[in-house]
Amino acid sequence: MLQTIVRRLFGMTVVVILATFLLSLLMWMLPGDAAQLMVPNSVAEVRDAIRMETGLDRGIFGYYWKWLSGMLTGDFGAYYLNGGTRPVTDVLREAVPASLQLIIYTQIVALLLSIPLGLVSAYKENSRFDKIVSSTLFTLVSFPGFALGLVLSLIFAVRLGLVDPVGYEPFSGNLGTHLKLMILPVVSLSVGLTASYTRLLRNDVIATLKEDYVTMAASKGISDRRVLWRHVFRPSSTTLLTSAALNMGGLIGGTIIIETIFAIPGLGFEIAYSIGARQVVAMQTLIAIIAFAYVFFNSMVDIFMNIVDPRTRERRV
Amino acid sequence: MKTTRKRPIGFYIAGSWLSLIVFFSIFGKLLPLPTWDASDYEALGLKPFSSGHLLGTTMDGYDMFSGLVNGSRISVFVSVISVGLGGAIGAIIGISSAYYRGRYDKFVVLLFNVMLSIPNLVLSLALISTFASDTQDANASTLRRVVVLIVSLTIVIIPLVGRIARASTMQWTSREFVIASKSMGTENRMIIRRHILPNVAPAMLAIAFLAIGSVIIVEGSLALLGIGIPGGASWGSMLAAGRLNLEFSAHEVYLPALAIAFTVISTNWFGDYVRNSLDKREAKI
Repeated sequence: MLQTIVRRLFGMTVVVILATFLLSLLMWMLPGDAAQLMVPNSVAEVRDAIRMETGLDRGIFGYYWKWLSGMLTGDFGAYYLNGGTRPVTDVLREAVPASLQLIIYTQIVALLLSIPLGLVSAYKENSRFDKIVSSTLFTLVSFPGFALGLVLSLIFAVRLGLVDPVGYEPFSGNLGTHLKLMILPVVSLSVGLTASYTRLLRNDVIATLKEDYVTMAASKGISDRRVLWRHVFRPSSTTLLTSAALNMGGLIGGTIIIETIFAIPGLGFEIAYSIGARQVVAMQTLIAIIAFAYVFFNSMVDIFMNIVDPRTRERRV
Repeated sequence: MKTTRKRPIGFYIAGSWLSLIVFFSIFGKLLPLPTWDASDYEALGLKPFSSGHLLGTTMDGYDMFSGLVNGSRISVFVSVISVGLGGAIGAIIGISSAYYRGRYDKFVVLLFNVMLSIPNLVLSLALISTFASDTQDANASTLRRVVVLIVSLTIVIIPLVGRIARASTMQWTSREFVIASKSMGTENRMIIRRHILPNVAPAMLAIAFLAIGSVIIVEGSLALLGIGIPGGASWGSMLAAGRLNLEFSAHEVYLPALAIAFTVISTNWFGDYVRNSLDKREAKI
């Protein structure tokens, strides 16, 4: 058990190191000079200083080492602007909470919708309700989030004027405004997620409903509703929860476009900005954070499942 | 035994939409339409179903219908080429690593894990910004941007397809007929070509349809982020341009959005259909 955990953590570290090195390599391969790209209209001294500071003058390994040791000691690099520098940590302070809020709300909404939908459509398998839910969800799961986001903002923000089309209010600010501004982005992100969660849960519940102990529980005279919740939902929820946890990482990537459309200053929005402004160091840091979060969540889910459900231990190829 | 199975309606709907898109992308230039990249100054911001402009015009007088027809060409071209290339490379790497195992396999798995640890869109963003850094200026040709887009997307597709190919090959290499063939001394290459590839191919096809859908989405997203193909030459870039006029002429946004959505839904539907018929075949064996 302990050995598995150590092995997973080691594997995770290797993947993160290689992924971040790959990113450094990409920055390194940029045609032209990175310092020139970041601060195009600067004097040579400024560019030299930037090269010194980022380790760009010390080859790819020197640069990577400088960046990595910076990350480990809390120096996350900086935006190099014509007027001076701005540390990436400044941006992260707002971006990380904004992205996390968006992701957590999306997960909550998706789970709250998909659990009843999945249970009922599995319980009434092949009924009209099940067929309508399944086909609607199938259409929605492939509907691109940004298309949905734009259509929603057209209808609810531009036409009906119910909410502002873009904007963000921190959680610590006006809570009402915060939630109101989050509605459209969260809906755009959670529709596809709800669809895939419902499908997962439905399939699992259908399989569980065929188990002997469910027949047993029903024949004891326990009401269907109680059987569904107590005897069926619990054992069927593992796939759903695993998938939800795995999606935490995936969603961070998926929020980029939604954050850009709705102007929420999250990680995705900042990545898009840093790419547009050619801030390669900041961009590398931001992408590395996402990659780390993604790998971290996946490994945690693996380890957690390992502890909870020993059957998954041997399945790994 | 009769093998004709009744096909669901979705098969025909998705099929006709995709055929229409493919038809537009190949023969679009021959259709008697207004040119997509020239503005009609007498018809600015027409609503759909106006005379002369079937789906209306943009605020700048560009014809929407010819824009969509033209956009289908780039969207189909980019997605089919990058999925074809990435799929082929991914399949070769995935199948060979699962078949030969050993150190090579370990290396491939690590490489895939590293590439998959960065979300699709983020990886394409990073790749494109590296390859395309000097194409940012308006003078860079659309062709160059398309090439950059295809190369980046191909790299993103490789691990996605490769992982599926590897997992699928793994299942088949332990089957009796493969072991039997091996024990008879058949060459490895021959076993892969004769026994593994035909069995892995349907799963690849299913994932390829899904990948085409996600490539179209990524293309749209990149355009919205301002680093895709410029000037309304693709659906994504029409969407990105139309977004600025959302308030005044909404059809500039929802028409390309719907085109993207329908295409993605259709390809996903096909991918699902292939996978389901695959499961049925598996169940019979």
